[in-house]
Amino acid sequence: MTSLRRALAGIAILGVLVGVIVALGVLDSDHVKLRGLDAALALVIGWSFLGAGLYAWWRRPYNRFGALMAAIAFAWFLSLLGAANSSVGFTIGILAGSLYFAILVHMLLAYPSGRLERRRHVALVWFAYALATLGQLPAALWGDADYFECTNCPVPLTHVRDDADLAQTFDVVLMAVAAVALVLVGAILVRRWMTASPPQRRAMAPVLWSGVTLMGLFAALLASSAIGATGVVDVLGWVALTAFAAVPWAFLFGLLRSRFSRGGAVSDLVMRMGAAPGTGGLRELLADALGDRSLGVAYWHDAKGRWIDPAGHPVELPADDDPARAWTRVELEGRLVGAVVHDRSLCEDPELVASVAAAAALAVQHERLNAELRARVEELRASRQRLVEAGIAERRRLERNLHDGAQQRLVAMSLSLRLAQAKLRKDPDSAERLMAGAQEELHLALEELRELARGIHPAVLSDRGLQGALEALAGRLPIPVELSDAPGDRLPAPIEAAAYFVVAEALTNVVKYADASHASVSVVRHNGHAIVEVRDDGVGGADPGRGSGLRGLADRVSALDGQLALESPLGEGTLLRAEIPV
Amino acid sequence: MAHTVLIVDDHPSFRATARILLEAEGFDVIGEAVDGATAVTETCRLRPEVVLLDVQLPDTDGFHVAETITAHPDAPAVILVSSRDPSDFGPLVSRSGARGFVPKAELSGERVEALL
Repeated sequence: MTSLRRALAGIAILGVLVGVIVALGVLDSDHVKLRGLDAALALVIGWSFLGAGLYAWWRRPYNRFGALMAAIAFAWFLSLLGAANSSVGFTIGILAGSLYFAILVHMLLAYPSGRLERRRHVALVWFAYALATLGQLPAALWGDADYFECTNCPVPLTHVRDDADLAQTFDVVLMAVAAVALVLVGAILVRRWMTASPPQRRAMAPVLWSGVTLMGLFAALLASSAIGATGVVDVLGWVALTAFAAVPWAFLFGLLRSRFSRGGAVSDLVMRMGAAPGTGGLRELLADALGDRSLGVAYWHDAKGRWIDPAGHPVELPADDDPARAWTRVELEGRLVGAVVHDRSLCEDPELVASVAAAAALAVQHERLNAELRARVEELRASRQRLVEAGIAERRRLERNLHDGAQQRLVAMSLSLRLAQAKLRKDPDSAERLMAGAQEELHLALEELRELARGIHPAVLSDRGLQGALEALAGRLPIPVELSDAPGDRLPAPIEAAAYFVVAEALTNVVKYADASHASVSVVRHNGHAIVEVRDDGVGGADPGRGSGLRGLADRVSALDGQLALESPLGEGTLLRAEIPV
Repeated sequence: MAHTVLIVDDHPSFRATARILLEAEGFDVIGEAVDGATAVTETCRLRPEVVLLDVQLPDTDGFHVAETITAHPDAPAVILVSSRDPSDFGPLVSRSGARGFVPKAELSGERVEALL
C-alpha cells in the first residue's frame, strides 16, 4: 500500500468516525426538531463529499480538487455540531456554520485544475472565507432564544448579550452581500463554460452546472432570508440542500460518463476502423472518438526525421508550453509512427488519449506510409518542375549569351567589312584598320562560341570520358586542382554528365567565392554509387541556398535518385559531395 | 544638310561601328544612349532628326521607347535596329510608331535614307 493510499484510508476512517459522532449528537439533541431525518441527511451528505473527494484525490493526487471536496465533508460535520447540547459544541457549530460553503466556493472556482487561475478568483475565495467567518458572529455574540427560535439551545460561549434585533440587522446586511458574491461566482462558472472547448465542456458539464444551480439557489435563499420571506425560505432551503447534496454525485457522474465514453470511444473506434481500414478518414474517426473536432494527425517521416501531414507536407507540432494545443505520441511496436494533435484539455484524461492512440496505431502506421509516399511524390513533382524551369532558364541564358556575345560581334564585323570594302580604294590605310578590327571581333566570337558549346555539353566528355573532361576543366582554372581516382570504366552518360557538372559548378564556386589556394576532386565507385567529392581549403561558410547553381545541381542529381550534400564550416574549407546510384 | 542622328544601343562595339558607318555616308551623329530612359531624355535634349534604336535594351524594349518618342508632335523619325530577324517581331514594328526596321548587319546610310 502506498503512503498516499494509507493517508487516504486514514482520512476515510476519520471521516466515518466523525460522521457517526456527529450523527449521534444530532439524534441526542434536545433542540433539533427532525432528529432522525437531520442525522440521516448529515451522514448522506457528509459521506458523499468524503467518498467522492477521496476518490478524486486518489485518481489525481496532484490536483487539489479532491482534497477540497473531502475538506467540505469535515466542515459540514463541524457545522452540525450546532445540534450539540453542550455550550462548547454549540459554539463551534455556530462559528463554523458556513465554513463548508466557503470551501465549496473555493472548490468550484478551482475546478477542474484544483488551482485558482486568476488573482480575482483568489480574492473572491478569500472574501468567501471572510464572509463565512464574519457571517456567524451576530449569532455567536448576540443570538438569544428568539433569534435561534429555540428555547432549549445552550448559550454560546461567545455570547455578549441578548440582542436579536442587532443580530438580525447584521444578518440582513451580510446575507445581501453574500447573495451578490454568490451570483458573481455563478457568473464566473457560466463564463468558464462558455470559454471552454467542446472536449472541456463535456468533462466539466456536471460539476459546473450543479455549481451554477447551487449558487443561484443559495443566492435566492439568502436574498429571501434578508427580506424575511419565511415561506419561500423554507421551500428554497430544502431545494438548496438537495442541490448541495447532489454536487459530489454530479462529480462522480462526470467521471463515470467519461469512463463509459472512453470504453465506448475505443470500441467504436476499433469497429469503425475495421469497417473502413486505412481510409483517409482516420482524422475524423479519431476526432469523433476523442470528441475534439479540432483534432489533427501528424506522421513521423523516418527518412527526413520530421513531421508531415496526411498530404505529405512538413508540419510543426504544438510546443510543450502551448496553452491551447498538445500532442500525444502514437507508437507501434515501440517505434514512433505518428502523433495525435489535440486540445490541451484532453491532457486531463491522458488514459483516454493513450488508449485511443494505441487502438489507432496500426491505421496511423498505414496512413504514415501513404503520407510518406505523398511527400516523396510531392518532392518529385517539385524537383521535376524545377528541372523544367531550369531547362527554360538555361535556354533563355543561352539565347541571351548568343545574342549579346557572338551575334553582336558578327554584326559589328559585318559592318566593319562593309565599311572596309567601301574604303578599300580611296583610303586603304583605314580599310586595313577596319579589317584588323573585324579579325579581332571574329576571334572573340569564336572564343565565345566555344565557351558556350562547352557549357551545353563538353565534347571531350563524350569523346574521352569523365577523366579527360575533368583534366581539361582543371587545366582551365586559375588555381591548382588535384584530380584523383576517376573511375577507369566509363559511367553511364547521364551520370558522367551530372558528375561533370557537379565538379564544374563546385570549382566555379571555389574560384568565385572560396578564396582557396588549392582544390581537389575525386570520383569513385563505391557500393553501387558514383561518389563525387570536391574539396577546397578556402574560407568555408558556403550557403546551400545561395544562388540557383547548387539548387539546380541538387535537382539534377536527385533526378538520378542521388543526393547532394554540402559541408562548409566557417574557416575550414568546403566539401561538396554527390552520391549517385549507378 | 546632313541628317542628325542619335544612336541607342547597349553594345559599345555596335555604337562605335554604326557611328563610323553613318558618318562615312554623310550623317551627323550627334549623340549616343545606352538604354531606354537615356534615349528619351537625349531625344528631348538634342532633338535629332533620326533615332537609331536597338530593340533589346537593358531597361525596356525598343518598341516601348519608340512609342514614347513618337507620341510627341514633331517627333524624330525612329528606325529600329536589331541583330534579330524582323520576322521575329511581326507587327510590333509598325505598331510602335517607328518608320521602319533595319537588321544590324545590313545597316547603311542608304537603308536609313530610304526610310526617311
